[in-house]
Amino acid sequence: MSELKERIKQPQNLSPRIKWLRDWYFEGAKRDWANEYLSFSTGTDWDVLTDETFVYTMYSLMPSIDTTDIATKLAAYPIAIPEDFFTWNLVERRAWFVKECMIKYVPKEILPGDLLAGGRFQLRVSKCLTKEENDEREAFLHGPEGLRQKMYEYHERGFGNCGPTPGHLIPGYEKIVKYGFKHQYEYIEGLYEALTEEEKAGDKGAQLRAMMTAATMPRELAEEYSRVCADLADKAKTESRRAELLQMAQNLKRVPWEGATTFWEAVMSLWMTHFLVLSDENYPGPGDSFGRLDQYLYPYWKKSVDEGMDPEFGKEILKTLWIHCNTVYDAMIRIGNQGITAGYGQLFTFSGMGKDGKDVSNDLTFALFDVIEDMTPMLEPKPSVRLHRNTPEAVMNRVIELISSSQGAPFLINFDERSMAGLLRQAKMTGVQDLINKDNVYDYASVGCLENTMVGNDRSETVNCNLNLIKSLEFALNDGADMVDYYKVDGSIYPKISDGIKTGDPRKFKTFDEFFAAFEVQMRNDVRRMVGMYNQCDIHRTRYTPTPYLSILVKGCAESATDITRGGAELKFVTIEGVTFATTVDSLLAIKYLVYDEKICTMDELITAIADDWEGHELLQARAKNRAPKYGRDDDEADALARRVMDVWSDECWKHKSIASGEQFRGGMLSWNYWITYAPICFATPDGRKRGQFLSNAICPSNGADINGPTANANSVGKALGGKTDGEGDFEGYINYLPNGSSHTMTFSPSMLRDDDHKAKFKAFLQGYIENGGTALQINVLDVDTLIEAQETPEDYKNLLVRVTGYNAYFTSVGKELQNEIIAREMQNKY
Amino acid sequence: MSELTATIIDIQRLSTEDGPGLRTTVFLKGCSLACTWCHNPESISFERQVQWLESNRCIGCGLCIEACPADALSMTENGIQINREVCGGCATCVAVCPTAAMELKGEVWERDALIAELVKDVSYIGKDGGVTFSGGEALMQSEFVTCALKRLQEMGIGTAVDTAGLVPAHALLGALPYTDVLLYDLKIFDREKHIEYTGAPNDLILKNIIAAADYAREHGTPEIWIRTPIIPGATDSDDNINHIGKFIAAYLDDAISRWELCAFNNLCLNKYERLGEEWDFAGISLVHAEEMEHLLDVAKDSGANPDKILWTGSTFVEK
Repeated sequence: MSELKERIKQPQNLSPRIKWLRDWYFEGAKRDWANEYLSFSTGTDWDVLTDETFVYTMYSLMPSIDTTDIATKLAAYPIAIPEDFFTWNLVERRAWFVKECMIKYVPKEILPGDLLAGGRFQLRVSKCLTKEENDEREAFLHGPEGLRQKMYEYHERGFGNCGPTPGHLIPGYEKIVKYGFKHQYEYIEGLYEALTEEEKAGDKGAQLRAMMTAATMPRELAEEYSRVCADLADKAKTESRRAELLQMAQNLKRVPWEGATTFWEAVMSLWMTHFLVLSDENYPGPGDSFGRLDQYLYPYWKKSVDEGMDPEFGKEILKTLWIHCNTVYDAMIRIGNQGITAGYGQLFTFSGMGKDGKDVSNDLTFALFDVIEDMTPMLEPKPSVRLHRNTPEAVMNRVIELISSSQGAPFLINFDERSMAGLLRQAKMTGVQDLINKDNVYDYASVGCLENTMVGNDRSETVNCNLNLIKSLEFALNDGADMVDYYKVDGSIYPKISDGIKTGDPRKFKTFDEFFAAFEVQMRNDVRRMVGMYNQCDIHRTRYTPTPYLSILVKGCAESATDITRGGAELKFVTIEGVTFATTVDSLLAIKYLVYDEKICTMDELITAIADDWEGHELLQARAKNRAPKYGRDDDEADALARRVMDVWSDECWKHKSIASGEQFRGGMLSWNYWITYAPICFATPDGRKRGQFLSNAICPSNGADINGPTANANSVGKALGGKTDGEGDFEGYINYLPNGSSHTMTFSPSMLRDDDHKAKFKAFLQGYIENGGTALQINVLDVDTLIEAQETPEDYKNLLVRVTGYNAYFTSVGKELQNEIIAREMQNKY
Repeated sequence: MSELTATIIDIQRLSTEDGPGLRTTVFLKGCSLACTWCHNPESISFERQVQWLESNRCIGCGLCIEACPADALSMTENGIQINREVCGGCATCVAVCPTAAMELKGEVWERDALIAELVKDVSYIGKDGGVTFSGGEALMQSEFVTCALKRLQEMGIGTAVDTAGLVPAHALLGALPYTDVLLYDLKIFDREKHIEYTGAPNDLILKNIIAAADYAREHGTPEIWIRTPIIPGATDSDDNINHIGKFIAAYLDDAISRWELCAFNNLCLNKYERLGEEWDFAGISLVHAEEMEHLLDVAKDSGANPDKILWTGSTFVEK
C-alpha cells in the first residue's frame, strides 16, 4: 500500500501557514476546535430546531429523524427572547433569532495564522414557531396521513423521493462584494417606505423588516470580528502577524457592509456573506455555490496586484478560503471521516465564454488553477472549469496538466455550448426570455454537483425530486401494479398495490410501439405523482422555514416582498431528476429486441424471468445482457430510443408548477447516488440486471455497456440530450433537453496521458467532446485500486482501454497474469 | 477483394498509437508476412476465423457446439476448443452464442458503411488526427483502401497507412496520393534473417520504401515515419539497428520525419491461445529501458539524422 499512496497526488507549494492549517484540518475530530453545529432554543417546551423534510431525499437518514430532533433539542442553549416575540410575524422572529445567535452567542475565533475571519457558523436553531403553528406542523408531518409516512412508502415502493432541499443556488454575491449590504439595506428600506400602511402591517411589511434585520447581521458580526482581530494584534508574537491582524481588523470595518476596495476585502466580504447563508438556512453547505469567481473577483485582483500585492499573497488568501470551505464538514464531525456523508459541493465556476462567444479567462483564472493544483486533494470548494469552442490553448493545457497530475480532474468540466442551449430552451419553454436570453445566458454558472443555473436571481432547486424511471417500466409490465415484494423499514412486506394506470396486459401487445405507449402513460403519471408529493413538501417549506437573510441575496424577493422559500425569486424552478435513465432505456431496448424484433422469447416468458429475478432463465438473461442493443455505443437506433424517452420525460415535467411557491418543474438526469440506493429496491430489469445490482448513473450508459470506447459513449450522451441540428437549435445548433445539465462520468487509464504527445491527443478528445458530448464531464484517470477492482469484477469494466504501443486491448479481456503485469506497471506509472 | 468490400478484423476508435493525433484505426485482415513475434496473430490469415473468448464470458450453455455445421467445436476443461482443421469460419456459432463469447475475426464491410462508421469521430480527430488503415497488411486490400483514403481526404479527414511494405509497388504508389502519413516498418536488414523471422525476403520492402521516399520528395507528401520493432533475439542486435540506420541515411533521411524504435510487448499471449496457436515469444519478458536507450544511441550513431529518432513503448519494470 505504501507504493500506492506515493502515487496519489500530494499538495504542493504550501506556505508554512497553509500547510499547518491544512494538516490541522485533516486531523478532523482530533482537533481541539471544530465548526460543529451550535444549537439555540427559544426555551419553549414545543420548540423544534430541525427540519426533517431536509432529509426526505436521504432514506438512510429517515429512521434517525426523531433521535436527531431530540438530541439537538437537548443540546440546545436557551436564549432570552423579547416578551412579545410570539406576536411577531414568523419571518421577523426567525430573522431576529438567527441574528441574535450569530452576534451574541456564537464564539468569534480567528484560526491560527488565518487571513479570513469567520470560523464558526454552523447553526441548528429554533424554528421560532408558536405552539399553534407547531401543532399544525406536527399534524401535517406526523398525523395518520402525515407526510413522513407517505414519504416512507414512496421510497420503499421504489417511486423515488423528494424534499425541499436548501442550498443549491448561487446568491447574488457579486453585488455584495461590489456595493455591500448597506446598499441592499437602503434598497429594501426604500421598498418598505413605498408600501401602504396596510401592507406594512401585513406579510409584506414583515418580510421587508425581517430582511432589514438580517441585512444588519453581517455588519454587526464584522464589527465583532474586527475587535477580535485588533485584540489579537496586540498579542501577536511577530511584527508581520501583527500587521496582518491589523489589516484584517481594518478590512472588517469596511466589508461586507460596504463595497470592497481590495482583493483581500473582496474575499473577506465573499466569505462572510457566504457562510451566513449556511447559518440562515441551518443547512451545512450542500450546493450553496459561488458562481464565476474569476469574473467578479477579477477587478479587485487586478487593482490589488497593480497596487503592489504579491500575486502569491493573493493565492494565500484564496487558500485560506479553501480551508474555511472545508470546515463546513465539521457540522457533523463526530460522525467521523471529517463528518463527510456526501460531497457538499460549494461549487465555483471559472473560465468560459463571455459576450459574443469570446473567452473571458484572465490572470485570476490562472491563479485559481494554481491554487487548485497546490491544494488538491481537498474536497471543497469544488471547481468547475467552463470549456467551449474558443477556449484558449493556455487554458486547455492547464486543464490537461491538472487532469494528468491528479489521477483524474480535480475539477468538473462544464461545456458552454450545450449548457447554454439547455438554459435557452428553458427560457423558451417557460416564457422567461426576458430573464434568460442570448445576451445574458453566458453568465450562467453551476451549483452543487454540476447543475447549471442563472446567478443571483434563480432559486434553482436542482435535487429536490428524484424519480426512479424503472418504476414506470414495472407498471407497464404489470398493468399498473407492483410486480415484486417491497419492504417496509421494519422488514415487513407491502401488499401488492395497484396504483399505476391500467395500461393493459402487455402479453397482448402486438408491437413494441404499443408497449412504449403503455410505458409513456405510466411515466407521465409517475411525474404527476411526484408533483403531488413535492407539493406537500413545498407547503411545509412555505409555511414554516423562511430564510430572510438568503432572501436579501436573491433578486425578486425584496421587489415582491416575498421570502425566497415562498417563491420570491425572479426565476424559480424545481428539477425532477430522473434516476436510472440508461437502465430504463436498455430495458426497453431489450424488450424490443427479445420479444418483438428477434422473437427470442414471448412477453410472458420475459415477465416470468424478471419475476424470478432471472433464476432459472440464465440463457435469456445472457442474451438480454450481451446481445440486446444498448445505449452508449453510438448506435443510432438505440440512441434514438434514448432520445424518445428523454422527449416524453422533458415534455411532462414542463407541464407542472408547484402550488405553494409557484415553482416551475423541469426534467433533469442527475441521480446523485440513488443508482446505488435503489439497486436493492428495483426489480430485476429486462436488460439482464438482477435485483440488487447497481443501476445506471445519471446520463451515463450502464456499467460496461459502452464497448465502443469513450468517443462512442460521448456521442450517445450528446444524442440523448438532443444532439445537434443544421438549423439554429437552442444555441448555435445545439439542442439540450436538460437545462440543469447532466452528469457524465468517464474513466481513462493513466497511459492515455502518459507524455506530452498523449496529452495533446487527450486535448483533442475534449475538443471533440465540446462538439458532440454532454454538458458536464467528470473524468477519472484510473488508479491501481480501480484496476484491481476491474480484475475482480470484469463485467463492470468492459470498457477500460489499456494502451501500449502497437497494441490495444480492453483490460478485462487480457489474461489475469497480464493484468497483473499492467497493474504492476501502472503502480510505477511507467508507460 | 475489391474496391467495394474489405475483410476487417476490428475498428479501433480513439486510437492514440497509430499516427499523429487521435485516430480511428481500421485493422484489415490478412498479411503478406508471418513474423514469428506478431502481436496481432488474428490478422495474418486472409480467412474468416472464429475464436472463443476466455471463460469470464462463456456460461457453458453449449449452444455453439449444437449449432456448428462442421462439428468443429467441443467442450473441454479449458473451455470451448475449435478444431481448426474443419472449421470453415461460417460463424454460425457466433450468431447463436448468447454471451458474445464466440467472436468472428474478419467481417466483410461495404465501403460506404465503413466510411459512415469512420466519420463518427470526426469531431475528435480534429486537424491533427485522422483515420489509419493498418492490419494485417492494409495494402493487400489496396483497391479498397485507396478508394477509402480518397473519399476520406475529400471529406477533409486526415489519412494514414500503416504498412510493412511487402506489396506490389503499384499498390503502395497508388495509395500514396491519398495518404497524409505513411507508417512504414523496417524490421530486419539482413536478408536471410528477414526470411527466417518473417517468412519472406526484404528486397521488395527496401525497394518500395525508396520509391515511396522518391514520391514524397517530389510531391511534398506523404509524411513518412519509419518504425522498427525491437524484438528480443530477432531485431534487437546493434548490427541490425546500425544497418537499418545506414540504409535510412543513404536513401531516406531527407524524406522521413521520424524513425521510431518500438519496444517489444508481450500482451498478446492470450490472442495466440484463443487461436489455438503456440507463440515463440511466450516466455520472453519486456525489454529494459537501458536496452532501449542503448539501441537509441546505436541508431543515432548510424549516420541517420539523430533528431528524428526516438523510442516508444513500455519497458520492463521490477515488481
